[in-house]
Amino acid sequence: MPHTPSSSASRPHSAIVLAAGEGIRLRPLTANRPKPMLPAGTRPILEHVLNALIDAGVDDIHLVVGYQANRVRSHFGPTYRDVPITYHTQDNQLGSGHALLQARDGPDGSFLLVNGDQIIDHRIVEAVGDAHETAGTLAVVEGPEAVDYGAVHLDGDEVTELIEQPASGDFRLFNAGVYAFTQQIFETLDTLSVERGELPLTAAIQQLIGDRYDIRAVRTDHFWMDATHPWDLLSLSRELLTRGWVDAPAVDSDIYVDDAAHVHPEATLVGPVVVDSDAVIEPGAVVGPYAAIGASSTIGSGSVLRDVVIDTDTTIGPNTTAIELVAGQGCVIGAGLTAGGGPADVVLDDQVYSDVDLGGVIADRVDVGGGATLEPGALIGPEATVGTGVVVRGRIDAGSEVVR
Amino acid sequence: MCGIVGCIGRGDHTVDVLMDGLRSLEYRGYDSAGIAVGPSMEVLRKSGELDALTEVVEANGPTGTYGIGHTRWSTHGPPNDRNAHPHTDETGRVAVVHNGIIENYGELKADLQATGVTFTSDTDTEVVPHLIAQAIDAGADPETAFHDTVDRLEGSYAIAAIIEGSETVYAARQGSPLVVGVGDGCTYLASDVPAFVEHTRDVVFLNDGHRVIATADGYTVLDGDREPVDVEIETVSYTAEATGKSGYDHYMLKEIHEQPTALRQCFSGRSDALEGTVTLEEIDGIPQPNAVQFVACGTSYHAALYGAAILREMGIPAETYLASEYALSPPPVSLGTLVVGITQSGETADTLAALRDAKGRGVSTLALTNTVNSTAARECDHAVYIRAGPEIGVAATKTFSSQLVGCNLLAEELVDGPRDLRPLIESLRNLPDDVQSILDTSAAEELVEEYADSEAYFFIGRGTNVAVALEGALKCKEISYEHAEGFPAGELKHGPLALVTPDTPVFAVVTGDDERARKTLGNIKEVQARGAPVIAVTDGQSDAAEIADETLMIPETDERAAPVLANIQLQLFSYYLANALGRPIDKPRNLAKSVTVE
Repeated sequence: MPHTPSSSASRPHSAIVLAAGEGIRLRPLTANRPKPMLPAGTRPILEHVLNALIDAGVDDIHLVVGYQANRVRSHFGPTYRDVPITYHTQDNQLGSGHALLQARDGPDGSFLLVNGDQIIDHRIVEAVGDAHETAGTLAVVEGPEAVDYGAVHLDGDEVTELIEQPASGDFRLFNAGVYAFTQQIFETLDTLSVERGELPLTAAIQQLIGDRYDIRAVRTDHFWMDATHPWDLLSLSRELLTRGWVDAPAVDSDIYVDDAAHVHPEATLVGPVVVDSDAVIEPGAVVGPYAAIGASSTIGSGSVLRDVVIDTDTTIGPNTTAIELVAGQGCVIGAGLTAGGGPADVVLDDQVYSDVDLGGVIADRVDVGGGATLEPGALIGPEATVGTGVVVRGRIDAGSEVVR
Repeated sequence: MCGIVGCIGRGDHTVDVLMDGLRSLEYRGYDSAGIAVGPSMEVLRKSGELDALTEVVEANGPTGTYGIGHTRWSTHGPPNDRNAHPHTDETGRVAVVHNGIIENYGELKADLQATGVTFTSDTDTEVVPHLIAQAIDAGADPETAFHDTVDRLEGSYAIAAIIEGSETVYAARQGSPLVVGVGDGCTYLASDVPAFVEHTRDVVFLNDGHRVIATADGYTVLDGDREPVDVEIETVSYTAEATGKSGYDHYMLKEIHEQPTALRQCFSGRSDALEGTVTLEEIDGIPQPNAVQFVACGTSYHAALYGAAILREMGIPAETYLASEYALSPPPVSLGTLVVGITQSGETADTLAALRDAKGRGVSTLALTNTVNSTAARECDHAVYIRAGPEIGVAATKTFSSQLVGCNLLAEELVDGPRDLRPLIESLRNLPDDVQSILDTSAAEELVEEYADSEAYFFIGRGTNVAVALEGALKCKEISYEHAEGFPAGELKHGPLALVTPDTPVFAVVTGDDERARKTLGNIKEVQARGAPVIAVTDGQSDAAEIADETLMIPETDERAAPVLANIQLQLFSYYLANALGRPIDKPRNLAKSVTVE
């Protein structure tokens, strides 16, 4: 997937990536790792973010880490694709502005800023970097999502107002979360304080505008996507597979299999599908379309999987049927699981989401006995044990044991 | 064990290049350090860690266009300024850095003293600059003086020198590592690639007997007869990764947390889970040996104990020898014997000596190592790589885990005969996640609060867990400086039990629920009866957790994989204990990462 890095003389070559947050609405998947380390295809979301930066010519990366920081540090180490990474720690998660402040000793001069949990096309980064001339530049996207991501008011290219939580869908332009700033942003952040446990970046941008600094917008229609809810990981994977943004060689037009994976000749891969290193697909299994099988995972004989994200080191027993399923790391799932897919009504953080396409979510290191069934939208917490033949409805807490 | 660096062709950057190089070799020794630059022939050196030298360099502002540098771990003479390298002749015309031992230095020194030369240090190295200076005084040109001097040296060494009036860096390799970095218009020399990898990845790996003459115009490699040799430039994939802690407080903690990745790399592509087979491409088709002798030192020795135990279970006679003993009291070998050297660096002098001894007696040798192109890998008939990635912390962690997995792969490749390896493959394949779950949930840090001021720490286990007990104790003593001993559990009552008191916590490694586990439970009661608190490291299959005072849990797995997991808990305990005691964890006193002296 990596492109040849492009570069331009004036474009900032340093980038700060905010990767400190847990992603509360993605629980129970975030019990052991921050949201940027959740799987998009077979790789952590953050890996795709760093790819976009490096493909846009960035050669100096600063990662702000906090929640479960060791997971990020041990995955990337001191360099990624030969680009050095400097880590900055945000001990308490007090908002994006506060996170950015932790990296103020990082880049000299202008820098790019992106979120570690949003997958972006590298051309958005290039466009923002190339346009950057004033105190700040941000990418804006046209669409109905302003309610979720914050609306942007423009006068020509000039940003006149940022509205973090617009009341309705009136606003057509929203903030894509890709920025370039001069060092002024740090000075401005210094003048602001944490209120109600938050110092959002948007407050600092608003302050810059109030102080008559010129903030510019760059319109983009390139690919941009993030995951807010567990089921978004399925659509994220689907988008990446469709684009071929996977880190495994193509053995057929949209079938990607790592050299060190083992696919039995009598198994069937239906593209788009990706199978990572040392994963095993046993005879008779039908995997795909839209299946991402992580490193060292096993799909048992005769299983049928479609629209799934199976993270690393997970074993799926024979004759499993799984549709619209997200499974975390190190799960052991017995023979004959049935997860028939959505639609479902899912309750997350006291909010009800209706008609969600979700067969179920199984967090890390869950043990599921043979013949269990997931009702659509079931959420199983990490290290839970589900007995043989259990029908799982709704939510099962971390570490709990459920028997029939 | 020391590190040497050199460079020419970098103009005003010379001092910075040398100092950065020394910093990335600091893991090789840090009793003292120094640099010498030409044409000014300024020499600066200082005992203590490299920061002490940095201060001296900043205060003096040396300038030069070529130079050499050294970081030292003492073998001859205490670590003080006087014994720090570079060493010079009486007039400061020649400066030399050296790694290794010059065995005939006593004789050479006596000869030099007889001609009136005054020595200023206790080192074996100092004979070299005096010999070069003497040859120049006798009319030789600098290059000839260098060759004539090297011809007279016996022992193992890597040497670099600069000589007044000659804008050249001279170097020689005999038994100690030395590599050349080929830059654009410049040349680097170092004991190890990380010293210059940020400048170039084009590397010439020298062989014993090679000499290098590097000038601003390039470099020439000569053999012992002073004839040019053709060398191959290899591009290393090694990145500057060796130089960053990724935000961890210590390399050791970083490397502990890297174990899931390291184990995945070690295992990746080497098994077929569908067929239940293991293949090590490097040695595919190697005949089954009649017997295996392992030679190793330190942590690698513990991995070797484990390797021999699993081979014996598979019916192959296998023994483990401390490499430092092997060459001096070699055990008998027969035609079908395979001698396996386990060495992380591939440069451990004792292990190399043992392997050379075995090779000299006509048996087949194999290196199980982490370092591609290391001396062990090149000298042995076969090499298997554990692919753990660079390890900088002096206390080995991830490389031990990868050595254990490497031993399993090696054993399965060596032993012929059909068998279903699927259960083993499954458990090895799951190791990364099992290790991650320990890293996510370990109670080791909390245990340290309870036991940090104990009088001593004991570690017991049976079977393959003996290796874990010994390694747990070694890790503990290496970095915490506390008294720690490991024993086969059954040996306690034959002596060591006398040391057990209420102030000596005992770590009992109990995995599975077989005869060995049940007998270890008896040993737990034995020490509890003497009042010692017992910390069980267990997978919960036996009653160990119920009997013990404290528990460090590991996931249940195959009996071959369990020792890897148990060891992770002990690594974490030692790390947090040393951290609580404020020890310099990455650079424990008196120790060096890989010991290239015998």
